Amino acid sequence: MTTTAPVREPAWDLPRAAIRLWTAEGAISTTLLWVGIGTFLLLVPASAGGPFPVLRWALPVAGLLHAAVVVGVRPRLKHRVYRWEITAETAYTRTGWLTQTWTLVPISRIQTVDVTRGVLQQMFGLATVAVLTASSQGTVRIWHLEHGTAQRVADDLARRAELVRDQAT
Amino acid sequence: MTPARRTSPRIVLVHTVTFRQARQLVPVLIPALAGFGFGGGTTTIVALAVGITLLSLAGAGLSWWRFSYADGPGAVVVTRGLLARAVRTVPNDRIRGVEIETPVLHRALGLVRVRIDAAAGAAGEDEEVVVDGVPRAEGDRLRSAVLTHRGAPVPAAEDDVPPAEEELFRWDNRWLLYAPLVGSYLALPAAGVGALSRLVEDLPGHPLEDLLDLDLPPGWVLVAGAVAGTLLLLVAGSVIGAALVNWGFHLVRRGGSLVAVRGLLTRRHTELEIDRIRGVSVSEGVGMRLVGAGRATALVTGLADAERRGQLLPLGPRGQAWELAHRLVEDPGPLTGHPPAARRRRVVRAVVPGALLVVGGVALGLRLGHWELLVAGLVVAGLGVLLGRSLYGALGHTAGPGR
Repeated sequence: MTTTAPVREPAWDLPRAAIRLWTAEGAISTTLLWVGIGTFLLLVPASAGGPFPVLRWALPVAGLLHAAVVVGVRPRLKHRVYRWEITAETAYTRTGWLTQTWTLVPISRIQTVDVTRGVLQQMFGLATVAVLTASSQGTVRIWHLEHGTAQRVADDLARRAELVRDQAT
Repeated sequence: MTPARRTSPRIVLVHTVTFRQARQLVPVLIPALAGFGFGGGTTTIVALAVGITLLSLAGAGLSWWRFSYADGPGAVVVTRGLLARAVRTVPNDRIRGVEIETPVLHRALGLVRVRIDAAAGAAGEDEEVVVDGVPRAEGDRLRSAVLTHRGAPVPAAEDDVPPAEEELFRWDNRWLLYAPLVGSYLALPAAGVGALSRLVEDLPGHPLEDLLDLDLPPGWVLVAGAVAGTLLLLVAGSVIGAALVNWGFHLVRRGGSLVAVRGLLTRRHTELEIDRIRGVSVSEGVGMRLVGAGRATALVTGLADAERRGQLLPLGPRGQAWELAHRLVEDPGPLTGHPPAARRRRVVRAVVPGALLVVGGVALGLRLGHWELLVAGLVVAGLGVLLGRSLYGALGHTAGPGR
């Protein structure tokens, strides 16, 4: 990582299963994209004029590129970027792959803690922890933790938030 | 952690009848139906009705089966979701208030809906915890369980009032007569009347004449009748609307909480912590001032739907509204008027439109010889001075003794 990060990076990384989940998501979106491309190639005749002759080879090339990025590159890149940490006072995450976002939420401001398990996440034994504050911007999501870890983190955060009397937010 | 509890299975019936889950399918169903066409006769319609009801039953059953809640010593945990599972944990300390709603169908089956306001502000997420369909006693137990996190136990609420309570305010049905003078109660019937009149206009021919087959009375009688009818509709609509919302309103202080109960068809039982009340606002609209009415609302930070839940006195004599406000928040004493600069600002701002008209009127008069606009401008400017002075007269401020 760059040395000019605004704060030190969060200490903990995500489980390897997250890479598999992101790869699966990439594979699904690739499949959908190729269904679209296939339909296009089947329905648009080769003799059509305008931009279509160019599109007939440009679309598959773009599709291949997309597949390579979302299946081959993005999951690993994301795994390197996505990090999280729960310190004594804050819940802290870094997310994104091209645009990276650091989010800190003071534990004293936590209003609600959600644990969500999507269908795909359940197949990989993962869960997302969302920490909600009273601010409309202040939601921190810790993506793709192992389910047991997520449950522990949520319980811990809720218990600690309960101990700090909140200040009139 | 206490064991997870379930809502009552009877709620499946309520949700089936009200199509609570099936409603979400409407945007999908309509195009699908349009695709198949409404060809067949009664059989299709009956099959359709049965199908949708079964669908609704299945949806209600599944969401009941997948929903559970638990109120632990430190937090409320709600688990839901058919395929994607979501577990929401709200620390007890973060709960702003609890509302118990009893719509008609719920009441018939002895159920209540508990809304726990968690005041999470994330846009696009349902911000509160809703436990829909628990028996009445369990609702009261849940409410007192989540609100007892700060010591003093809350006695279970029954309709016979326990002595520990202090009644702050009780609604008087005569105050329903104030409703036609309050903008917010008029809005809905006014919209209804508007829609009705457009409907009558859109009907081909002269529906009234054709329908009643009578010779229409002369124009002015007709106009007067229409005006009187509209007024009657507006008055009746606003009174009925106010009655539906406010029937049997009463406000009690119970330990550290304010409890408001209201509603004719849907009973609402709202509980607020007095510690969270940061202030009180009393408002008197133009119509309300004519008859000396007012309304009082508590200012509570981070309360979702604060407009409704914070209401202390929805409609009533202004004296009562002020008395109530001063019981909750110390009376800061008489207000100090604002400095003369405030009057200048008010008057200047109120005169500007009239002044513009005057300028335009002078130009018009010099060029075309029409002086009507100038006269109108002078009148508007004169009224502006009065308006500015009255706006200034309403200003006032004071800093209370502080806490």
